[in-house]
Amino acid sequence: MTDSLRASWIIAGNTVRELVRSKLLHNLIFFAVLLIASSMFVAQLTIGQWDRVILDMGLAAIELSGVLVAVLIGVGLVAGEIERRTVFPTLARPLSRGAFLLGRFLGLFAMMAVSVVLMMAVLAGVLRLAGYGVSSSVAVAALLILLELALMAAAALLFGSFTKPILASAFSLSLFLVGHLLSDLKAFQQRSQSELAKALTGVAYRMLPDLELLNVKSLAANELPVPHGLAQAGALYAVAYAAGLLVIAVVIFSRRDLK
Amino acid sequence: MDFPSRARAAVPAFAVVVLAACCAVLRARAQQLAPAVLEATFDIPAFPAEVVRPFSFGLRSVVADLMFLEAIQIHGGRGSKAQTLEKGGHDDRALNRLLTYATDLDPKFAGAYRFAGNAMPRQTADGKVTNVLQAVALLTKGVRERGDDWRIPFTLAFLQSYYLGRFDEAGRNFAVAAKLPGAPPYVGFLATRSSIEGGDLQFAEQLARAMLEQATEESTQQEWQERLRDLRMERDLRDIEAAAARFSARRGHAPESLAALVNAGELAAVPREPHGGRYLLSPQGEARSSAKPRLRIRGRQGTVAGLEVR
Repeated sequence: MTDSLRASWIIAGNTVRELVRSKLLHNLIFFAVLLIASSMFVAQLTIGQWDRVILDMGLAAIELSGVLVAVLIGVGLVAGEIERRTVFPTLARPLSRGAFLLGRFLGLFAMMAVSVVLMMAVLAGVLRLAGYGVSSSVAVAALLILLELALMAAAALLFGSFTKPILASAFSLSLFLVGHLLSDLKAFQQRSQSELAKALTGVAYRMLPDLELLNVKSLAANELPVPHGLAQAGALYAVAYAAGLLVIAVVIFSRRDLK
Repeated sequence: MDFPSRARAAVPAFAVVVLAACCAVLRARAQQLAPAVLEATFDIPAFPAEVVRPFSFGLRSVVADLMFLEAIQIHGGRGSKAQTLEKGGHDDRALNRLLTYATDLDPKFAGAYRFAGNAMPRQTADGKVTNVLQAVALLTKGVRERGDDWRIPFTLAFLQSYYLGRFDEAGRNFAVAAKLPGAPPYVGFLATRSSIEGGDLQFAEQLARAMLEQATEESTQQEWQERLRDLRMERDLRDIEAAAARFSARRGHAPESLAALVNAGELAAVPREPHGGRYLLSPQGEARSSAKPRLRIRGRQGTVAGLEVR
């Protein structure tokens, strides 16, 4: 067990070193920083409400670029390596596939945490330039975005463990979109006349991740407090869901014939 | 290269030039024949919230901002010159739909409600006021969703009293605004004034007492005590006028004085004027105080200066 954890730690370190040199990651972060900085100019088109526009654009940029990092890079870390066959030298060492997958996840999560902190610093700077500060709701929103990214990274690793990179990316991005539509799915279920449709949507509603539980951007932008307990419950939900996805990914990846 | 070979080589280039010329001529002709683009083509489509919301994919707040920014651009593009109802109708519809979408996507968007209240109602060049009812609907939603922002019920009350002449509703919304944190003291006074105009004296007195109890500064307490005296005076004046009307109905002529009302049994006693003055009765049966004029919002007959409100 300890050896597996040590191996995961080493893989995580290697993953971080790989990602530091990743041009895709650099470009996505650069794009997000540019978007956050440009929110200052967009805000000037409005009447008052500057802080709201800057916060909305900034948090959206952090979330979107983060999701692209989690999905595109997450898929590449397993499915991409399998496709390029660069995974074989690593797996030839005395290392379990589960430890490899966990290490990849931890390395990716570390890089996402660094990039979210970096982008939040830029957002705080832009807000400061406009004469505003960062409220506790904004910090909570950023933390929940990071956990949403962790969940998406776990999903990307899961899909990458059994299918091709392009399909894994498509599945992961679809999960992100559907994850924000679950309340509408439930409304559809309640209105549907077909028992089969009700049953199917009911199963989908319970199985798919409810990413709206991690979405408090609107509260942050409206300077409203996050309801007591929501952040903690949402955070634990994201951690548990991501862990569940990782367990399934490890099981599938361990049994997969890579030849 | 001999001439026939050169000619053959030039054929494709020649063909391209001829076809390009044909395209230019035919395009111009087709554009002439095409029907004029209807203005409605550029209208903001009326999608219900159930459709707009899912397609924002967790970025509702940003999409709401974009709608809000577009509404500001439309409002800014109107210019200061008044337009007719028909000519500005496109912008009116666009403003209403954009701000409805913005607040459907983000129901807590206080700035959008406030902007709706200020920007949507438009006085037209042909003697109408338009987009008032739509703005009232949006602000009513805003009062429900943002119970912490005094400016939303305040703006709603302004529209109800100024454009619609619904003073009782306005009084209640001014009262809601007055009780919220950050509301200036004059909002409470507006509430009582609107309630009096709407005829609801009891509500106005209740509000004034509540405001007096929560006032912490001495000057504010004095102002509210004065307002309570005004309300008592208004109640007395209404009682006197009602008694005078009954007197006239029974005797066939107006009462000569307040004492005549008391002698005839229409009034139990001449009430004491709370400001230290005395009550007077005009030959037309209209009561007044020697100390202070009555609280009134003048010049409103249900609409603004006879304008048609939509």
